[in-house]
Amino acid sequence: MSRLIEHPLGIVMLLVISIISVMIIFLIIQSIPILLYRGLEFLTTSSWNPVKEEYGILFALGGSVVVGLISVALGAVLSISLAVFVAEISPVRLRSIFVTLNDIGAAVPTVIYGLWGLIYLAPFLYDYVMAPLSTFLSNVLGVPSRPGTSIFTASVLMAIMIVPFSSAIIREGLLSIPTHLREAIISIGATKWELIWIQVKMVKNYIIGGLLIGFGRAVGETVAVAMVVGNVIQPEFYKIFLPGYTVSSLIADQYQNAEAYTYMVSALFAASLFIFIVGLLANMVGLSMVRRK
Amino acid sequence: MITIKDLNVWYRDNKILDNINLDVPRNVILTIMGPSGSGKSTLLRAINRLIEIYPGVRVEGEIYVDGVNVFKARTEDVRRNIGMVFQIPNPIPNMSIFDNVALGPKLNKLVKSESELRDIVKWALEKAYLWDEVKNRLKEPAAKLSGGQQQRLCIARALAMKPKVILMDEPTSNLDPVATNRIEELMVELKKIVTVVLVTHNPAQAARVSDYVAFLYKGRLVEVGSSSQIFTSPKNELTEKYITGRIG
Repeated sequence: MSRLIEHPLGIVMLLVISIISVMIIFLIIQSIPILLYRGLEFLTTSSWNPVKEEYGILFALGGSVVVGLISVALGAVLSISLAVFVAEISPVRLRSIFVTLNDIGAAVPTVIYGLWGLIYLAPFLYDYVMAPLSTFLSNVLGVPSRPGTSIFTASVLMAIMIVPFSSAIIREGLLSIPTHLREAIISIGATKWELIWIQVKMVKNYIIGGLLIGFGRAVGETVAVAMVVGNVIQPEFYKIFLPGYTVSSLIADQYQNAEAYTYMVSALFAASLFIFIVGLLANMVGLSMVRRK
Repeated sequence: MITIKDLNVWYRDNKILDNINLDVPRNVILTIMGPSGSGKSTLLRAINRLIEIYPGVRVEGEIYVDGVNVFKARTEDVRRNIGMVFQIPNPIPNMSIFDNVALGPKLNKLVKSESELRDIVKWALEKAYLWDEVKNRLKEPAAKLSGGQQQRLCIARALAMKPKVILMDEPTSNLDPVATNRIEELMVELKKIVTVVLVTHNPAQAARVSDYVAFLYKGRLVEVGSSSQIFTSPKNELTEKYITGRIG
């Protein structure tokens, strides 16, 4: 401990750690009033009526979980395919170009994804996916409306946004397989696709880790989701063609008025505490999977 | 068993192998020895066409294995008949001992039933002198074995396809003397069922195990002959310098 304080960089480290700790402590302290006031109902009911001081965030928690799960499922297919393409199929000379393109995808500000999602993706999904499917699935998935903002649209957009991250992790896993192992698999008569399949199974930990990190991002992402999710209190959050809320979009949408009500600040802090915990867990487990090999 | 005719290999603009002609009889150990960079590994990888996975490589010439021109056959069929063992023991780390050996027969659809697969895995592990050490732990990951055991597992993996030829690329260079000794004994035993082509940069190993020795230097085949002839009365001055340790 004393060594840490003596070194100038150690002090920076301590400062960063203390800021994070103070943030978490405040998050917890601020969450206490609403939890005392509403108890478990805060998590198990769907109501958001500040005038009556009624707060139950089940609809938003549900929205976050649904967006997280669908985007990871879609993102899994997309990111494994992309990683396999870049690491195994594309010509070696073009690989660095694809890697750069992929990494640019991770650097695009989320508000740009959000704007693109609102103007192009939402109407496109409405016309070609949601409207056709809802003719016979409206009981299950809900009746969509223009311009197509919905839980589903937010999930697709999040899938697109997490692909650069998870595919980069999976790609690095594939590229880290030593040449002599690839030679060994080929030397026993594996075809190109058998080789790819065996290697994909070898990087299972990278895949799970990459997707968990993606899930953490999807659950926490705010701006882009708030722009396409619809921002409607929707207790039937599992009807994915309807507009809804996620926890982060709820916070982004409601914080301006929060000071006017007794418990709303605390409710927003408690909501953010939950997504913080979920996101942190997903990231930690994800990173440990990637490191375990 | 193996006939190599006028084989030339380029990597981009560099000629790696220069007009190689070589005959390997059935059920012998032929050792390709030479200093590093002489093209030994390339020659070995030309026989099972593994060299072709590297971009920028160009191959000319003919190689016949058991009468079949390998460059006219499907690569998967070529490789099924030619097992390979590498410098680094390389079982597939996330697969069990059993699955590593079973992989070749499964991929190449050589077995029709589970019991047939179990039989072939047992046979291959016995031939590789490994069965007694692993028969009670076949489900364990291959990574738990020692280096020498992993290399014998790789030999079993190659044998399980019932190949006619086994290529070995410096298979003992990462093993301790005891494990090396076991692998060398195993090679001599293996030539009863397959033809072995061994690459080594160690003349002593070549002398211990080979029936025939080919000396490769800077991409050219300098001399081929029976082991006793090469080591007692080499015809070429370069060969003599190499086996006496003055080059390489």
